[in-house]
Amino acid sequence: MKEKDLKRAYNNVLAQAISTSKQYLFAGNLFGDIFVLRINELEKGSEEPPGKLKIFPQGSGVDINYLAFHRDFLIVGAVGLIYGLAWNEEEESLATKRSWEVKIPMQVDAVEVPDVNSMWLNKVDNTLFAGCGDGVIYQVSLEDGRIQREYRGHTDYVHSVVGNANGQIFSGAEDGTVRVWSTKQQEQTALLEPHKNPNLLRPDWGKWIGAVAVNDDWLLCGGGPKASIYHLRSLECTRVFDFPGRVHLCDFVDDCVLIGGEHNHVQSYTLNGVLQANIPVEHTACYSAVWQTSPIKLMSIAGFSNKLHILKDFRFLDSKIDLYGNVQGEDENQDDDDELIEEPLIVEAA
Amino acid sequence: MEIILNTQFEQLQKAIEGIMEAKSKGQSSDEARTAATLMFVALKHANREVKHKIKAGRDKLHLEKCKVDLSRLQLQNLLYEVSHLKKEIVRCQKFKSRDTNLELLSEAEYAGKLPSIPNEKEDLSSHKQHLHRLDCELRLRKDLDKQYSALLTSKQELLQDNLSHAQRYISFAPALRTLLGATKPLHDALQLSLDVEWKLSAVVKYLPKPLYILFINLQSLQRACDDLSFTAEVVGYESEAQMQELLKEKQYTTLHPKQNEKETAPREKPLENSLEDALAPHPLHIRMTIGAVGSNQLILQIRYFELIKCATVWGQLIPSSNANSLGDTHFLHYLLRHLYTNDLGNEIPIPGIEYELRNSDLTADECIRYLKAKDFGKPFCWLQSMCSIPTVNSSLLYNHELNLNKNTREIIVRIARRWNSWLRLSQQIRGLTYKDIDLYTLKENIYPAGLSCSLVQWTAITHEEFHSQFSDVLNVSSEDKGITYNSYRAVIVRGSAKMECFIRIPSNYPLEMPLWILNVHWNGCHTSQNNSAIKMMEFWTNSLQPKQLEAGERLLYAQLFRTIYSFDIFLETEGSIQSTVEYNKEKPYISAFAKRSRSRPYKYIKKGSVYAFKQ
Repeated sequence: MKEKDLKRAYNNVLAQAISTSKQYLFAGNLFGDIFVLRINELEKGSEEPPGKLKIFPQGSGVDINYLAFHRDFLIVGAVGLIYGLAWNEEEESLATKRSWEVKIPMQVDAVEVPDVNSMWLNKVDNTLFAGCGDGVIYQVSLEDGRIQREYRGHTDYVHSVVGNANGQIFSGAEDGTVRVWSTKQQEQTALLEPHKNPNLLRPDWGKWIGAVAVNDDWLLCGGGPKASIYHLRSLECTRVFDFPGRVHLCDFVDDCVLIGGEHNHVQSYTLNGVLQANIPVEHTACYSAVWQTSPIKLMSIAGFSNKLHILKDFRFLDSKIDLYGNVQGEDENQDDDDELIEEPLIVEAA
Repeated sequence: MEIILNTQFEQLQKAIEGIMEAKSKGQSSDEARTAATLMFVALKHANREVKHKIKAGRDKLHLEKCKVDLSRLQLQNLLYEVSHLKKEIVRCQKFKSRDTNLELLSEAEYAGKLPSIPNEKEDLSSHKQHLHRLDCELRLRKDLDKQYSALLTSKQELLQDNLSHAQRYISFAPALRTLLGATKPLHDALQLSLDVEWKLSAVVKYLPKPLYILFINLQSLQRACDDLSFTAEVVGYESEAQMQELLKEKQYTTLHPKQNEKETAPREKPLENSLEDALAPHPLHIRMTIGAVGSNQLILQIRYFELIKCATVWGQLIPSSNANSLGDTHFLHYLLRHLYTNDLGNEIPIPGIEYELRNSDLTADECIRYLKAKDFGKPFCWLQSMCSIPTVNSSLLYNHELNLNKNTREIIVRIARRWNSWLRLSQQIRGLTYKDIDLYTLKENIYPAGLSCSLVQWTAITHEEFHSQFSDVLNVSSEDKGITYNSYRAVIVRGSAKMECFIRIPSNYPLEMPLWILNVHWNGCHTSQNNSAIKMMEFWTNSLQPKQLEAGERLLYAQLFRTIYSFDIFLETEGSIQSTVEYNKEKPYISAFAKRSRSRPYKYIKKGSVYAFKQ
């Protein structure tokens, strides 16, 4: 199979981000390619096909685990480092040279370079919280690129990090715990273990927590255990959602809950647990959803397939956008005859 | 008359008797005598009348006699005629025409050969048909006679020509000899040996020009490059080639004067015949054998067709004696078809050939089909470039290869390389199908210590069975390049878990790699559609590129082992957190999961003595 076809068949998009101008959508995959979609292409109406995407390869060795956008920088969470790429809005181009780089320190006992699995950006004081493959959450100052603090406690790698304006940080990890941290305290302030709740446990799928989300009052998390809502102050589980797959993606959208993962549908529930929308997706597993309400209301769901799923009212699927095969200047590259060269066959004497 | 006479006689008698009575009585008889004499008058009259009547009767009789004679004569005539006709019939029956010795052709054939003869077939008797045929034969013979004489004169001319040429060459000889003598020191200085004779068998010069170029090139390559193991020979008889050359000349001389007349007459040839005649290959062809004697040999038969102005190649496989059943021989055709991309040989790559074919009422498709049916192979562009024939390919690119030496060499190297790949592939498939390989000891086995799966089945399946699998891979439609596929199904088992692998080998292997689709049956059916771990596994197997192989590793086996170990890793990392675990961790990996996608450590990394499975 040619590399081009391989990439189309096994494109795994883990990360998406929307630019500050709310005009561009970025999607990064495990082949190290960042796709850029002009959002107003989707508004053009159904007659003309949306324009092609732009692609900015980061090199085949770079896994793009997470993307965030701050001011005019696209922040890429890769393996062992976080780096910023300047985004030029006029030319619609992503700088090829990294504007800055933050290396994740290797732990003394580590054998592998840690992935940057999840990032939460605090836009108020320009800090970035990165949940990494070594189970540590690093607080990085975007002013000078210094690592300000490490939050230690998870015994396995961190899947998801979010925070809120009160200086609280929430993280879900492979070790099956959700930990609550405060920027003002050294130790974790709370610990949740959903797999210890028999209502939530799905023994075949393990205890890991794949996604965490918060709003003012509630904490939403899920993974191997079922997705569920906890009250932020009492830390009591108040609602369980019957999403039938493993959970890799959950979030509060308006006053609903969006849950996705290894299932052929992404589901939207009310806070009371009533299924509101059941959106069919082509992804083997969904890993990322980003949305905005203005100027163009849209949501994009990405995952393990070559397509972005676009929803305009957050409830029904509007369009699917191909990634590979729908890129400017892609057809120009030639077939390279990369051929298997083997030694001559020696026929053994009978 | 008789009655009249009788009455008269009776009256007379009566009168006489009367007289007598009177006499006797002595009476006077004079009166009676007068009366009686008067009676004689009447008698005389009657007598005359009788005579008259007799004459008339005689006349009548004569007349009748004449009539009888006439009819008799007629009868005689008729009888004579009958006998004559009978004789004639016998003679006709005994008649033997000389034309029975002639072998006549059928009506249709004459019509084909003599298009100028009007063809009225409606209700002709067989005799007339025969006559028509004889007539045709006569014309044909006359034509042939004309051709014969034309040939004779041309032969004379050629002889003359030959003679004059020979004389001219002979006149060169002394000059050449002195030149040879003069350059001898130079040869010595350059260490060129003059003794190597370029021996070409006589038949070579009868090759058509393109094949001649090819053959000479192959010969020189054979001499120049020791690393290429191939031989080329000319197959066919000199005499046939001569014959064809003569025939062609004849056609030229006889057809050309009649050209105008031919053009006006519509030509109606039966299609089959004309195709066969028109598309007859040149009687000589080149047979190229690639591969050393005793091993598997690849034979390419290269023929040249005058009509379509290009060469075709047909491949054949000669398995070595000790590796008999080579299984799939299709790969040979795959190999030739996919030697270069977009060169499938489905059209005649000669510029403008369609228009020329149109003149003889043929289409290019017809020709290609015919060539295929007759096992003459296909007219690939690369083959034409070896013969220095300019080509126009399917995307209308004109190409005329001039650097023949380099090009031919490249093509042969490429064929040999591809062929080797296919041989190895089919050997692998055979090994897998008949299970005469030991998985444990194969060098592609990356981690022999941990082999706990077994391959229980490897069978060929149909294309439909393969396509009944659902996978995104199948939806990724690369542009159709005429690729066909062979599909296989492999079953790998470990404990209670079973993995079904569906493998599709493309016909343009080794340009494209075999594609694997994996289904794991263990606590339900896991496919790339419902389980991202399986999809990653599939990716890991399918992403194996030739350049990643180490020397001597075989691709299909390498793919198999990637799949097997991925399956192992999947089983060892999967599993419930409560119930007892069926598969314990046996493979050396650092972490079972990484990243948000929870990817598993399918990749085997070996650096020096450190080895591990990693994400």
